[in-house]
Amino acid sequence: MTAPDRMRLGLPDLGIGVGLRLPHYEEIFETRPKVGWLEIISENFLVPGGVPLANLDRALAHYPVIQHGVSLSIGGTTPLDFDFLKNLRALLRRTKSPWVSDHLCWTGIATLNTHDLLPLPYTTDVVRHVAARARIVQDTLEVPLALENVSSYLTYTSSEMTEWDFFRAVVEEANCAVLLDVNNIYVSSQNHGFDPNVYVDAIPAERVVQIHLAGHTNYGDYIIDTHSGPVIDPVWDLYRRAIRRVGPVSTLIEWDEDIPPLATLLAEAERARIVREEALSHAK
Amino acid sequence: MRNDLASVQAFLASVIPGRAPIPDDPALAETAARFVTGNARLTPAAQVDIYRRQFWYRHREILNDDFPALARLLGEAKMDAFCRDFLDAHPPAHAPFRKMIEPVPSFAATWPGFETDAGRTFAADMARYEIAMLDVRAGADAPPLDPQKLAGLPEDAWERARIVLHPAARRLVFSYPVHRLRKAWLVAGEPAILPEAPSPAHIVLYRNRELVTHFEELEPEAFTLFGLLDEGVPLVPALGRLAEPLPEAQQQHVAAHVGRWFQQWTALGLVVDVDLPSSS
Repeated sequence: MTAPDRMRLGLPDLGIGVGLRLPHYEEIFETRPKVGWLEIISENFLVPGGVPLANLDRALAHYPVIQHGVSLSIGGTTPLDFDFLKNLRALLRRTKSPWVSDHLCWTGIATLNTHDLLPLPYTTDVVRHVAARARIVQDTLEVPLALENVSSYLTYTSSEMTEWDFFRAVVEEANCAVLLDVNNIYVSSQNHGFDPNVYVDAIPAERVVQIHLAGHTNYGDYIIDTHSGPVIDPVWDLYRRAIRRVGPVSTLIEWDEDIPPLATLLAEAERARIVREEALSHAK
Repeated sequence: MRNDLASVQAFLASVIPGRAPIPDDPALAETAARFVTGNARLTPAAQVDIYRRQFWYRHREILNDDFPALARLLGEAKMDAFCRDFLDAHPPAHAPFRKMIEPVPSFAATWPGFETDAGRTFAADMARYEIAMLDVRAGADAPPLDPQKLAGLPEDAWERARIVLHPAARRLVFSYPVHRLRKAWLVAGEPAILPEAPSPAHIVLYRNRELVTHFEELEPEAFTLFGLLDEGVPLVPALGRLAEPLPEAQQQHVAAHVGRWFQQWTALGLVVDVDLPSSS
């Protein structure tokens, strides 16, 4: 096993990927652009059949596909949804995704699903709660689970530690992987007034199997993680820092609002490739 | 007041679906400050309010995306009011959006925002149709019918053979021809206007072999027969049950047309198999 492999839990570096989104399907399938991999939102493909799964099979014929979820609610206080996990596992068998990711957050309670990614209080009790659930999820899905840091727009009075200490404690206690969203670190740093470099430096590098890059929307008093627009320069700087720290890790450009022509998305992916190469060469 | 995880989540879940800004409610703002810190720019209530606004934007977008013809009919302001009232009445409790939109037709059927009963009936029809469009698009797959299997069936097989229909196909009966109107509004760009009078329609919505969704209008008798076959009743008994309550003229009509119906359903890919149970 090479050193970089050991660092990333033995999971492969797939290079630079893009999120597979509906407006780009036909062009991607017809032109087969040179990207290392595609990321899908798992929930969009948890259907009996038809068009979504036919499109997924077309993607799988030409690209590695990684599953990314939005509804696990690993920090929820309602019981884990084992029907959902069973369906997710069936989809994993179809995609052969070497890992599966979702967010370190909660999405709702028994009577309300917000369909949002809400932050958790950063406490020791919550670390234990989330880690226990993450272990069950990981065992059930039979592939490594990567937890992603979310953008947040509030902080809790009950928090006892920093977000990065909380993140580290959860993934270490759960023995799971990290999907490091560099844009989310930037967004939360601006919303809550911390140094994003400190966050990047505190992440357990050996657990990082994937990085997300995206744009956001700045409303003045706060920033929302809209996945809209290009990645901004301070986020590219954070990405350089992260790559120098964690090594060559599969990196994805997310663009979900005001989705541009595929050429624009691919240009952003190419920029990520160049930045990653530069950062890796400086790290040597 | 408890400040554990469940209490934090219960508080946020109670205010995020709300209509009014949280900072405008002194009691809620005070409670927010017990759970949320705020910062130099935003009070605790203002921080929580970001999530309240995001909840509205997100779910309004989902409802507009899933019900584009209903949204065209209502226009932006009235569709917003419809979405607000719907979310109040049916806050999403599950992750799949398909579950969230399930009650839209029954909600539309009683929504007081429509001026007339006709408007409510039409909107309920359209909502049912738009949900069926989603279901057909992502419904289960089935291999196409093997023509040799059909040709090799013995004469007496139709007494007991179960005709297997495509699992993604949906039978729908409407008071208004919403299937044609939706196409006219969204594809041909015609103005979205409530028809002056009802015009009942029986359709099958299905996916062709290229996975494109189409509708087929059926005569009422053909629609009933299709339903009996879908329930698993073999062809000959199904025809018997269909004909029994009909006057003789209509029975003759069914007898004269059933062959053509069956050929049409087979050609459209609606018939995917013929299951012949063993005689034992």
